Amino acid sequence: MSETPERKRSEVADVDRSLYDFVMPEEGYERYDDGLTPDIVRAISAKKDEPQWMLDLRLKALDTFHEMRMADNWGPDTSGLDMDHISTYVSPKTKQARNWDEVPEDIKTTFERLGIPEAERESLAGVGAQYDSEIVYHNMREEVAEQGVIYSTIEDALHDPKWEPVVHQYFGTLIPMRDHKFAALHYAVWSGGSFVYVPEGVSLSYPLQSYFRLNASGAGQFEHTLIIVEPGADLHFIEGCSAPKYYEANLHAGAVELFVKDHAHLRYSTIENWSKNMFNLNTKRATVGADAKMEWVSGSFGSHVSYLYPTTILAGARSSCEFTGITFAGATQDLDTGCKVILNGADTTASVDTKSISKDGGVNTFRSSVVIGRKADRARATVSCSSLMLDDISRSDTIPAMDVRNATASVGHEATIGRISDDTILYLMSRGCSEAEARTMVVNGFANPVSKELPLEYAVEMNNLIKLEMEGAIG
Amino acid sequence: MAATKTLAHVNVPAAQTWNYLRINDISFEVPVPTTKGEVLARLPRLFDAVETGVGAEAASWIVSASGDSRYVEVKAGTHRAEPIVIDIDAATGDVRDTGVLVREGAEATVVVAAHGHADEPSTSASLLRIVAERDAVVHLVEIVALGKGAQHLEGVGIDAADGALIEVRQYALGGDKVAVGICTNLAGRSARLVHDMRYIASGSEQLDVNHLARQRGRNTRSEIVTSGILADSAKKTMRETIDLIHGAKGATGNEIETVLVTGDNIVNKTLPTILCDEDDVAGNHGASIGSVSPEQLGYLADRGISTTEAEALFARAIFDDAVIHAPEAISRAAALSRAEEVLGSEIARDVAEGLGLVTDGEDA
Repeated sequence: MSETPERKRSEVADVDRSLYDFVMPEEGYERYDDGLTPDIVRAISAKKDEPQWMLDLRLKALDTFHEMRMADNWGPDTSGLDMDHISTYVSPKTKQARNWDEVPEDIKTTFERLGIPEAERESLAGVGAQYDSEIVYHNMREEVAEQGVIYSTIEDALHDPKWEPVVHQYFGTLIPMRDHKFAALHYAVWSGGSFVYVPEGVSLSYPLQSYFRLNASGAGQFEHTLIIVEPGADLHFIEGCSAPKYYEANLHAGAVELFVKDHAHLRYSTIENWSKNMFNLNTKRATVGADAKMEWVSGSFGSHVSYLYPTTILAGARSSCEFTGITFAGATQDLDTGCKVILNGADTTASVDTKSISKDGGVNTFRSSVVIGRKADRARATVSCSSLMLDDISRSDTIPAMDVRNATASVGHEATIGRISDDTILYLMSRGCSEAEARTMVVNGFANPVSKELPLEYAVEMNNLIKLEMEGAIG
Repeated sequence: MAATKTLAHVNVPAAQTWNYLRINDISFEVPVPTTKGEVLARLPRLFDAVETGVGAEAASWIVSASGDSRYVEVKAGTHRAEPIVIDIDAATGDVRDTGVLVREGAEATVVVAAHGHADEPSTSASLLRIVAERDAVVHLVEIVALGKGAQHLEGVGIDAADGALIEVRQYALGGDKVAVGICTNLAGRSARLVHDMRYIASGSEQLDVNHLARQRGRNTRSEIVTSGILADSAKKTMRETIDLIHGAKGATGNEIETVLVTGDNIVNKTLPTILCDEDDVAGNHGASIGSVSPEQLGYLADRGISTTEAEALFARAIFDDAVIHAPEAISRAAALSRAEEVLGSEIARDVAEGLGLVTDGEDA
């Protein structure tokens, strides 16, 4: 049998990440000591003037964090993350504003460079902007507020007698603190995030967006997002995040709890572009009522290490879930991403379609689970994952688990791993493209099923991120 | 009652996942080996390096419990017509440790047949390690056809050198609790694995499978096809891994699994994994899990075939296949005996007659 000749390769140049990789001075910021102690947890709670139940929850979570261990038989290495060198609370000396002009100049400049105010003017129903541990800007269009939509920080909701019981009822119920070690950490030191309540039957024409910027070095961001979409309501929520690169570890351990009631619809889109010193140990979960639909659109480009598996519980009959995701792992990155779907209701459907790209020694792991419960009669699930290897120093693994306990259910799964064929590159080059352009074009086409699910401006951002990552990527 | 020990991590896949799914391994309670003070025949050290699918803990126990080892060498360039048979009887709790060296250019057939009932819960096991040298051809037929009361551990490890061809036909036809793990190390250039598994699990049987194809050599090929039926309250866990190791340029690995679910209380777990540390490779996986569709059942009903009959036909097809591919009397008898238990004596006889194995008036 003839052997395939070895392909020649050339070096891959570093890319310019200045769009995201800029640092603002921390002068005058309030920064708590590194490490985790009950005093720090109490201080965070006191600063937020929280109800007693929340402080109790935090302290219990801290004990749980110390008690739990990370699994040692799977997942990327987190030994580079030392909680004794992470500050869990860093806050700029500013109050939350409803007008960008009231935001301190350096922070305003940061978000302007990231395009947030412009996006708000053009295509969003409301924006929340978090800088380190606190929300610095929060605003929503008046016509949206008039429909009864609530979009605030969790802290503000806790201080509102009308919404405090609602937060108390839902907070921490979908993601239990014992879910994993960093879920416990989250509940101990959470700060910032969003509370969204969409009343019954209300449909938002424009998305809401929360943007999370971690500027501080050696710090953690622990925002909590709680979204309740009442029966028949419809919401598109966008989450963005970025950080400048430092030479010491940063940590993101947020939590997202989504309650999608009967006949409701929620689309949750994320473009994650943390810097490559970030440990992204985020937890996202949705529960979906009867005839309701949950859609996830997820783009993961940043972080040094990621553990990210948005989970959907299809609790109601005929509920459905679509997960569309792309992960791009470059040099120094070990990204373990995917999703979990639990089908409990009858006639539920789930569709998972993911893409991953590995380059420059990056490690991509697609990890998923589809669990079909005993009562999920006629449930259907399909999982498709495609992985593209752009060089021979990178790695790509797919580890999808399926657990079926109903005889009437059906599950389909397909996975492929491969490279861009030389024939394709040659074809494009024969039509005038450079090799780099040809490769970028193919990768953009590969990512197209994800980018087409995003609003135009975010699709452009995602394509730009791919272009950034692909610059100089001649295999 | 004999002392027992726990093998906590049997059939561990090459890459693990969330522990709460309980899919990363299976545990077995096994008798503590009782052989003491004897000088046992050990396999040549060559076989120590062969990785088996059941994992080191289970392999070590099987070697200890077997009491003795059997070594078979097939000379270079020869074609051994007579199969190498590993006969395991659950009734006597047989445990076998076997090493087979197939020299350069040789061809051999290896049969592992586990069969029988146990009046009291019993444990049987087999560890088979095969080294296939350059251009060797190995045909491996595994038939696990155990009855009630039997738990069984079966580990296989195969090292394949340049140009070696490994053909595996694996049939899991019964047993209270059965773990089978095969690891094939395609170490040489253009080494190939063609692996076909069929299974049926019914009642409260528990079947645990670990397939691992490590592709180290350039232009290696692996094709793993698995299909089976889960009935009643049976539980099955299937781990299938294609490991495309750095340097395996030009390698391709394909795996596909089809599961027919007919029982209302089944548990079907599948972990199909592709590990890829090389770019000039292709790995594909497909899985389909479900029952016979109402449309298909309607089609059959129009032709006078009920749902029960249709499902019995699917089950029979597995036994037909096992009997057809059983290359010698012990494995064939094991499959037919189990067919009689699962399908009834009339159908089992029909299977045997259809294959010309019995004539009128003879017992199947």
